[in-house]
Amino acid sequence: MRAPRDIVSRLFVILAVFGTFPGMLRSEESPEGVRFFEQKIRPLLAEHCYECHSEQAGEQQGGLLLDRQSGWLEGGHTNKAVIPGDPDASLLLTAVRYDDADLEMPPDGPLEDESIALLEQWIRRGAPGPAEDLGETQFSRLGDQDLLFQQAAGHWAFKPLKPVAVPTGRFLDDDRIDDLDSKSTIPEWGSGAVDQFVLRSLFEAGLTPSPLAEPAALARRLNFDLTGLPPSYEQLREFEAVAAEDFESATFRLIDELIQSPAFGQHFGRLWLDVVRYADTDNNYRPDTRTPHYYPFAFSYRDYVVRAFNDDKPFDQFFKEQMAADLMGYGPDSPELAALGFYAAGPYATRAPAEAIDDWIDVTTRGLMGLTVACARCHDHKFEPVPTADYYSLRGVFAAVSRVNPLDEQKQPRLTSYSPAESEVKDYERKRAKIDAKISAAAGKKAKGNNRSVAQKIRETELAELLLFHPGAPARAMIVAERKRPPPSYVFLRGDPSARGDLVPRRFLKILDPQQESFPEDASGRLELANQIASPSNPLTARVFVNRIWGHLIGSHLVATTSDFGLQGSRPTHPELLDWLADDFVRHDWSVKHLVRRIVFSHAYQQSSRFRETASKVDPANQWLWRANRKHLSIEAIRDRILTASRQLDVRVGGHPEPLWGEDYTRRRAIYGFVNRFNLDPTLRAFDFPAPVQTQPARGESIVPFQALFTMNSPFVIDQAAAIIADESFVRISSDEQRVEYLFRSILGRDPSAAEVSRASKLIEFQERFQEPANKKTRFINSPWPLMAQALLMSNEFQYVD
Amino acid sequence: MWISNMSPMISRRQLLQSTSLGSIALASLLQDSSSALGGISAADDSPLMEREPHFPARVKRVIHLFMNGGPSQMDTFDRKPKLNQLDGEPLPESVRNQLQPTQRKRAGNLFGSPFRFKKYGQSGLEVSELFPKVALHADDLCVIRSMQGEIANHTPGLLLTNCGHSTLPRPSLGSWLLYGLGNESAELPGFVVLCPRGLPTAQSRNWTSAFMPGVFQGTHIDTASPGGEIVPNLTRSDVRAGSQRAQLAFTQFLNRRHAQTRPEDQRLESRIHTMELAFRMQSAGTEAFDLSQEPAHILEMYGDTLQGRNMLFARRLTERGVRYVQVYHGAGQPWDNHGSIVKNITRLAGESDQPIAALLTDLKQRGMLDETLVIWGGEMGRTPTVQQVKDPSKVGRDHHIDGYTVWMAGGGVRGGMTYGATDELAMQVTENKVTMPDFHATILHQLGFDHKRLTYRYSGRDFRLTDVHGQVIEDILHV
Repeated sequence: MRAPRDIVSRLFVILAVFGTFPGMLRSEESPEGVRFFEQKIRPLLAEHCYECHSEQAGEQQGGLLLDRQSGWLEGGHTNKAVIPGDPDASLLLTAVRYDDADLEMPPDGPLEDESIALLEQWIRRGAPGPAEDLGETQFSRLGDQDLLFQQAAGHWAFKPLKPVAVPTGRFLDDDRIDDLDSKSTIPEWGSGAVDQFVLRSLFEAGLTPSPLAEPAALARRLNFDLTGLPPSYEQLREFEAVAAEDFESATFRLIDELIQSPAFGQHFGRLWLDVVRYADTDNNYRPDTRTPHYYPFAFSYRDYVVRAFNDDKPFDQFFKEQMAADLMGYGPDSPELAALGFYAAGPYATRAPAEAIDDWIDVTTRGLMGLTVACARCHDHKFEPVPTADYYSLRGVFAAVSRVNPLDEQKQPRLTSYSPAESEVKDYERKRAKIDAKISAAAGKKAKGNNRSVAQKIRETELAELLLFHPGAPARAMIVAERKRPPPSYVFLRGDPSARGDLVPRRFLKILDPQQESFPEDASGRLELANQIASPSNPLTARVFVNRIWGHLIGSHLVATTSDFGLQGSRPTHPELLDWLADDFVRHDWSVKHLVRRIVFSHAYQQSSRFRETASKVDPANQWLWRANRKHLSIEAIRDRILTASRQLDVRVGGHPEPLWGEDYTRRRAIYGFVNRFNLDPTLRAFDFPAPVQTQPARGESIVPFQALFTMNSPFVIDQAAAIIADESFVRISSDEQRVEYLFRSILGRDPSAAEVSRASKLIEFQERFQEPANKKTRFINSPWPLMAQALLMSNEFQYVD
Repeated sequence: MWISNMSPMISRRQLLQSTSLGSIALASLLQDSSSALGGISAADDSPLMEREPHFPARVKRVIHLFMNGGPSQMDTFDRKPKLNQLDGEPLPESVRNQLQPTQRKRAGNLFGSPFRFKKYGQSGLEVSELFPKVALHADDLCVIRSMQGEIANHTPGLLLTNCGHSTLPRPSLGSWLLYGLGNESAELPGFVVLCPRGLPTAQSRNWTSAFMPGVFQGTHIDTASPGGEIVPNLTRSDVRAGSQRAQLAFTQFLNRRHAQTRPEDQRLESRIHTMELAFRMQSAGTEAFDLSQEPAHILEMYGDTLQGRNMLFARRLTERGVRYVQVYHGAGQPWDNHGSIVKNITRLAGESDQPIAALLTDLKQRGMLDETLVIWGGEMGRTPTVQQVKDPSKVGRDHHIDGYTVWMAGGGVRGGMTYGATDELAMQVTENKVTMPDFHATILHQLGFDHKRLTYRYSGRDFRLTDVHGQVIEDILHV
């Protein structure tokens, strides 16, 4: 027997599906039905269910809300919760009856029989709802893809890039200008587009820019920002001299020189390596040998990245090669194949293949496009227009990729672009022969304890280490391969591979390709995906990348959430500037050097970092860029700067990784340091070097004592301080005052003030009291000079760039 | 003690006194940086600044004794008389499918515990003869017999226990605590992992901060390596303490001048502060690990063994404000007794019984047990069946995640009680199942957090240690 109001309820279902309810609703329920609900049912639900299934508690677990009619009628992820009139078909009843072991509610114990009977009765009556039904609210629509797509239609980051008109500068005539401080700087403000956009925003906020930085400060800034290396004292003085003659052309020449220097790619390459979670090992080690899973050839990817920046490779090409160099027709020993390290050198071994694919989807979507697609693995994205089907479309693409064993010397092509010295090759070959002999001798032997092949253990340890570290070992491209037949891709319900949902074709994301055209049947779709991502019509790729470069140079990003440009991401501080830069970048053949020039030639970049009280009152965080940001050096730049001060820095480009610390530490730039993913170096970690296990949006700046301990006590810094003192040019000096002067010049790039000289002499005097006769043995350092040199290396001035 | 070869600790006062030659000069050197020597805790904008939890905390710190490998529940804290009766009988086919698939195939006959149980304390809590000294604390132990794991293997079990997820990289419990509470200690890291002779299975992922800032990550210390340092670069031995102080004073002189023309930049001030903190850490870090300061009776109580020293380090660290100390039994997974379980578990329990008992006694007599939550357990338990081994004298037990045992003590947890139960064959949980999110929610609750509100925004969403699950186990808590 069905009550007539059943029909009303059914109408509700239809309305709930096809219409949208604007907030609170008057229900059409009969007064008795409402009374029954409010008196008998609501209290039950409130006591046992609302903790997890109501807007009031802020919870809709399993997607189910029980505080409104549409909630129980539409149900949650599992299915409809209530079929009015049919208790036995209603999941709600199944759950409270504890009929199904996988669906027992409430979780802390079954309800009383009486309560269950009431719920049965309620459903049989057609499950009447409250008089004032909540209907559809923002909360209940959480994760509603239709709504998210509607919102996305107006979202700035999904709008196509198009040329933006540069402000004319006419706003300078505004009367308010009289009220502003330092208006005298405005006439010298650049006429370039970057400056016009920044100036307009400043002006709208009632601010003015700062004057240009002092020549020495600017030269220092440019050197660190473009190459990660300090200028020498002499270079600074020379720049000051020529800048005094003609500031503009001096700056022009300096920028050009720095951008053309090989150090440019070494510095910018590291920025990209953070995004792509680069490391030289996997995320695990072998317990029996206590060695990491080495990636002996990952470094060729790192070198590829550095080269791409240095050669000013068009970056659409750069993005494509990383995703699909194997499908772009390159020859078998082309250096471009090393680009595939983008995927191949990611974390893998300890995870199920599904996790590796998840990582690839994440680095591709978040790293390249600022979209958090990986969130849609188990359910439609709650906050972004990314349905689960999108995730599994991409999963289909990557499921067609097969991984190559990182130690395999047959499948990973040798790169002839590397030509190590003959003596090194000989040495490598000698060592290699020995190891090979050892491997042959161990044939068929099993290790005690775990029964592993001894030969295999030697391959994973001694051989892998030789291949990884020996400068004479051949370089190979760390590649991925394509499966012969790409497997079909199904949606995995709730991310569970055993719960297959719909078959989804390989294709691009729905929000960026509304036509949802499938990639060709017989192709993995990786190249097609790459083409979609590195396309001028992709609204995200160029914006996301330009924002990364801007942040690197300016010290703050236009979009603070650098890897999230979706609905949840921050809005750009200067939307038009970002669009102009991105459009300009694409128009100039995706040239990074062009982009960098655009930024560093601006007054916005070149202005002083000096504090201005009045401006800071308006804009304490400097989001409108009324001054330059003072930047903290990365650990790589700090290390390189220390080695520069001791004149030991080896600036060679490319090659096998080397240890950063320890007895045999490398003198090469820090980008060539060995990165152990499974156990990230504690010094790197202390200085905010990101754990290379996921794509990293940006580095933060933390201030912790471990950093100070590094400069105070690390053998590396102590050794380098000693090396500064041991250098011929220091040894030659005969007076203390000149020694102090030398240390300030070579370490901080400036002359000491009189107060500093006098304060330094106190330290020398103090330390000299401890000096033992030359022949007396002691474990303590006698000379004050290494301590003095180190004191400068420890200083804040050494780590900050104005 | 291995610590003795580290450079001597010298307080500022000692330092001024000791260098008679240089004392006056040093005093004058220090003058201009004296303001930097005042009482400084972590700088205000530091991620390690102390913060208040959601509500008043019952517990100030946690010591997690991790029996990595998975200790056998029915041989330690979950007595199974019926299983003992059926010892050697074949596993009834009707219950075989209750085992996890991997174990199902290789499970042999039922295997009663060869260890005798006794009732202890006023509560009459039953503990096996493997832990006679821990048993004397029976009235302080809350034994949870109904832990439910997810995947019956070590890496997923360790990651689930530590980070709340079996496979994906997520921040560890210790990282969540530092994120939520900051670091109480001005001189020591707030999250320390003690593990002798290398790393446990799953390695540093057990104490990772994942997507949180790196400063929230645990600091691992190999407590068996002589000369090991609590933190990298903690000390140097080639300069006199006085010289280093003078050097630092010069650096701080430069830093002050540098900051003077940049007065608005808080970071510069923070770095001046942390440099002083680092200087103090040199002695505090060394001191915390210097067991020679302990009186003989304490050393004797813990025992001069690897585990004894581990437990004593744990007490010294928590006493000095370290929030979360995790003590692994050893590298790899020592409690993974697939073979020769009788011999091995006797050895393992023998190694840790006295030290753990000593730790509980010591915390109690110092009045610290009330505000310290001590947790004992592994990442899983073991099967009630023999793992088939050819040699009957070398039998072991397989992995088991459906109803394993952990215990808690101190920290507002009710003692002398058991919570939850498994069936008479120890196959499944029959009462009060405790999942890892429940377990974590309870720990967070004791530390003053609503686990649903302790969130970290990353990649566009708010992450929780307990994801979307977890209920505080109210029944085991003092009201």
